[in-house]
Amino acid sequence: MAGQRPARTRERRVPGWFPRVALVLCAIGFLVSAYLTWEAFTAGATLACPEGDTVNCAKVTESEWSKFFGVPVAPLGMAFFAVLAWLCRPVLLRREGLGWDRVRLAWVSVGLVMVLYLVWAELFKIGAICLWCTVVHVLTFALFGVVLFGQILIEPAPARVRFKDRPR
Amino acid sequence: MGKSSRVQNARLAQVRAEQAKAEQRRKLLIAGGTVGVVVLVVVGLVFAALQGANKDVAGKAGSALDQASFAKLTNVPASALDTVGAGSSSNPPRTIDAPALTKDGKPRVLYVGAEFCPYCASQRWPLVVALSRFGTFNNLSTTYSAPAPEPNPNTPTITFHGSTYTSQYLSFTAYETATNEKSNGNWKPLETLSSEDQTLFSTYNAPPYTQTKGAIPWLDIAGTSIQEGASWDATPILAMSHAQVVTALADPSTPTGQGVLGTANVLTAQICKATGGQPANVCTSAGVVAAAAKLQ
Repeated sequence: MAGQRPARTRERRVPGWFPRVALVLCAIGFLVSAYLTWEAFTAGATLACPEGDTVNCAKVTESEWSKFFGVPVAPLGMAFFAVLAWLCRPVLLRREGLGWDRVRLAWVSVGLVMVLYLVWAELFKIGAICLWCTVVHVLTFALFGVVLFGQILIEPAPARVRFKDRPR
Repeated sequence: MGKSSRVQNARLAQVRAEQAKAEQRRKLLIAGGTVGVVVLVVVGLVFAALQGANKDVAGKAGSALDQASFAKLTNVPASALDTVGAGSSSNPPRTIDAPALTKDGKPRVLYVGAEFCPYCASQRWPLVVALSRFGTFNNLSTTYSAPAPEPNPNTPTITFHGSTYTSQYLSFTAYETATNEKSNGNWKPLETLSSEDQTLFSTYNAPPYTQTKGAIPWLDIAGTSIQEGASWDATPILAMSHAQVVTALADPSTPTGQGVLGTANVLTAQICKATGGQPANVCTSAGVVAAAAKLQ
């Protein structure tokens, strides 16, 4: 049709497992963070976790280290997983260019650094491990690996074919 | 396009594909290395923490409380207590529905703590002030909570270990379950609860009676109420000597006085419920009446 531009088809080939695994991990992480957020705002009244010397969720979630600049880390975890899930949508993964890849990698790296900081706080400042928090930490580390390897395995969009190179 | 040109293009495409594969392999190696470094960092943190946890800790040693400090601590002027009222006290005892806790026909107060515990260190000061209004302590000694990295390291405090308490109104049982010294990763045990008291501790130091299970300090006031944790912030006394703490707590204008005397009044008000308002001069004092409003 005269005046109508052809549909944009220059998309990258994304490994099928990348968005699926990322979205599942984000969903689990979001749910666990939501549970910890609920417990944070209800004083841990129903926190299902052993209360020993080493494994003690309440000791961790009620400590001063459960807040980052005054903000409870549990809702920050929810925000982290929600944003990462949005960044791992297939439509964004397929989009040409490295801009969103860099944003995604930077975001998951921020999450990983935060996890290392919280693990350090648990081990050296609080002296106890929170099992639910550890689930979130493991999921974040797994997501770091998924994003890192997934992005490397994305195949670039086909090279642009110039008019003069067209097959004749 | 000629045949030679098509062959050239095919070779070029093949070379480009091989270069892309090589680049991808290089990136995968870097990514694998990055993940490996993160794993090593976590393993290193855990290893260092385990080494630290197993390290022996020598807590600061205490001594017998000197006579002057003992006299000041156990005879805080009523006017100071009345001035403070509830002061800055928080976390009051929570009323529970349980059988009355008595001994020799008198209401019984049961305390479980440990010398390493910083929150026990805070709470003993007001507890001694409150109980001294109902009876007499003997052989109180000083000690300190555990050193860093524990919270509020080396908080100066009193220990109930080795002390005695006599009163015509109530009975007091205290357990300091561990010292402030760590050996092979564990605090050295000091006193063991009797089987009856262990049953009480297990039953009433867990939800729904307390927020967390087994936390110390824990106080059972004659089966009428439970108090878990500290009721005032001991930060102001961290750098003080025991004698300085005793002087500061008797002064209603100091944060220490507001915290210790306020908590002492709240605990006194709860104990008065168990003693039936005896002794009357204590239980009807202005400070105790004002603090009673804090009780849940």
